[in-house]
Amino acid sequence: MSIRTILVVDDEPRIRRVVSDALADGETRTIEAGTGREAIDAVRSERPDLVVLDLGLPDLQGIDVCRTVRGWTDVPILVLSARHSDAEKVLLLDNGADDYVTKPFSTVEFQARVRALLRRAPREEAEGHIVVGDLEIDLVAHTVSVEGTDIHLTPIEWQLLRALATKPDRTLTHRQLFAAAWPGRVHGDAQHYLRVHMTHLRRKLEREPARPRHIVTELGVGYRFVP
Amino acid sequence: MSARDPSDHAVRRARWRVLALWLVVLAVGTAAMLPFRDRLDKAHVALLLMLVPLGGSAAGGRSVGLGLATASFLVFNWFFLPPYHTLVVADPLDWLVLLAFLTTSAVAAQLLYAAQEEARVARLRTAEVDRLRVVGAEAVTAGRAEDALNTVAEVIRDAAQADSCELLAEGDGGAPHIMAAAGVAAVGPASQHADAEGDIVRPLSVRGRIVGSMRLRSARGLSLDAERSRFVDALSYYAALGIERVRLIAAAERAEALREADELKDALLASVSHDLRTPLTTIKARAHEMRIHGDEQAEVIEQEADRLNRIVIDLLDLSRLKAGVLPTEPDLNAVDELLELVVQRVEGVLGKRTLTVQLSPDGDLLFGRFDLAHSVRILVNLVENAHKYAPADTPIELGARRNGDTIDVTVADRGPGLPDGESERAFEPFNRVPGLPPDVGSAGLGLAIARRLAEAQSASLRYEPRAGGGSVFTYSFAAVEFTPEGD
Repeated sequence: MSIRTILVVDDEPRIRRVVSDALADGETRTIEAGTGREAIDAVRSERPDLVVLDLGLPDLQGIDVCRTVRGWTDVPILVLSARHSDAEKVLLLDNGADDYVTKPFSTVEFQARVRALLRRAPREEAEGHIVVGDLEIDLVAHTVSVEGTDIHLTPIEWQLLRALATKPDRTLTHRQLFAAAWPGRVHGDAQHYLRVHMTHLRRKLEREPARPRHIVTELGVGYRFVP
Repeated sequence: MSARDPSDHAVRRARWRVLALWLVVLAVGTAAMLPFRDRLDKAHVALLLMLVPLGGSAAGGRSVGLGLATASFLVFNWFFLPPYHTLVVADPLDWLVLLAFLTTSAVAAQLLYAAQEEARVARLRTAEVDRLRVVGAEAVTAGRAEDALNTVAEVIRDAAQADSCELLAEGDGGAPHIMAAAGVAAVGPASQHADAEGDIVRPLSVRGRIVGSMRLRSARGLSLDAERSRFVDALSYYAALGIERVRLIAAAERAEALREADELKDALLASVSHDLRTPLTTIKARAHEMRIHGDEQAEVIEQEADRLNRIVIDLLDLSRLKAGVLPTEPDLNAVDELLELVVQRVEGVLGKRTLTVQLSPDGDLLFGRFDLAHSVRILVNLVENAHKYAPADTPIELGARRNGDTIDVTVADRGPGLPDGESERAFEPFNRVPGLPPDVGSAGLGLAIARRLAEAQSASLRYEPRAGGGSVFTYSFAAVEFTPEGD
């Protein structure tokens, strides 16, 4: 396996160090940037496989870094956010960032998110058939079964499940899910509809909806499909 | 008015002097005319005598004028109307002369009196207007409310013609204290010998509420006629408004100081929370590395870093809740999602303890209007609280059900419950339940934050003892009927 490159962007050197150490596994080369401009230059020159981007850089807003980078590359972006920057985090996810971790984060969770982002690219379009435990989804035939029993989904529920299942381990924002289920419609107070349909969908899929196995809620952001 | 004005005495003496003077004039005039009385026409005598009551009433007022009119009438009759030296009148036409004389004198005295009285009232009104002008100007232009109040005291002292006037504010539960005073140097502060004989003390009230009192004092003793009393009452309303203004300004300054202190505290906590994040992240990551390399104890460091982070967040949120600046967004949310998020957050800390979850008794979907993040926090705090206090082998039960227009989410445990009479105190910050080991809590903020988060979104959080032992906390919010379209 080839060596991959991960760019760590944070204005705090100590955080860059611990993040780099958490990523060190013998197959990863980390490079560091302390400002938004350095980060953009590094993405251009080093072509990293993943960017870990802190919110609250001294020179640029996270959203500007995110948009600039998205202008020419699909490199996965993992946002490091703090509790007070929840709204900014959602804004970044809506504008091309792929996932987030909240500081102070657990190393285990951080490594899991990084792995999920790195393996995503080959998986995304491949499967017409998804099997996760007792759940089977046939994307071609539009059928879903739980423990071998076919489940009837409404068209909206199907679109939501499809959007989530084809991007496993990745948080989809309310806005992204709404766009998938109601294409062409404006995102107004649509979160209400989204929540109600998601609740119905999960009651159908989950054996224990309070401890969901397949679709988990990311508070204030959206939902995530667990493969 | 029971007490007589001391100035009345002087007025009466002056009046007697005027009367005596004009009686002398009458006597001299009569003596001068007597030798020629047979050659004088009765009309000439009457006109000359008429000058006496006119002059007297001009100088001495109505009563002096009427007295002199009577005296002149008698002199006229006695000395100048035949038969002389009797009050008998021979010529019946002379009765007409006498009657005309008397009437003219009396009417003249009355007219003069009325004119003078009008002039006096006019002067009084001018003085009142002048005083009100001073009070009004001072109230508008005085830099400090206390200065305006001093002017009001001076004007009242002047209007009441007292030696001193003191305005006292009702103390906040304490003794009244002097807010303003005029002329106190002359008699000394009244508070030293409060409510002495002869003082006039009036309550001062604004919109029916007594805000203080006014004390007038004079070394000569003090009396107010009805008119002056009315004017002093009118002025005392300005004094009441002035005292109220001083109090309101003080209250506003206090509120401003408190708000600034709150802002400072919030900024401090926000800064602490921000500055702690980097070291906490570093500590957690390093502790994790140590654990990977075989140090079992390092796990404790990670847990403690999390706990420290929670305490800082709790302090920051409590401070924002108390200041009313923590944003809440009550919105349509699913109870399924709420309970899922609670379970997501507590399962890590519960270890082997059982947490049962009932989404609704009959399998219905429940929707409500609540702030999702705050509600998760409330229920997480309740579950963690139950976990701290209930025996490890007893389950914690989380459940939701529809209850009329509201949805009740309950957290029930088999712990010791709250002692009788302690249940409301347990919702106060830093108030641990007495008789329990102190090391199980974080900072005693869990219930206080939960209660305030509930109230911030017009929901409620209450405690009841559980049948068979333990606690039931019930978090209630408005239920919403929701039927999705297009299915």
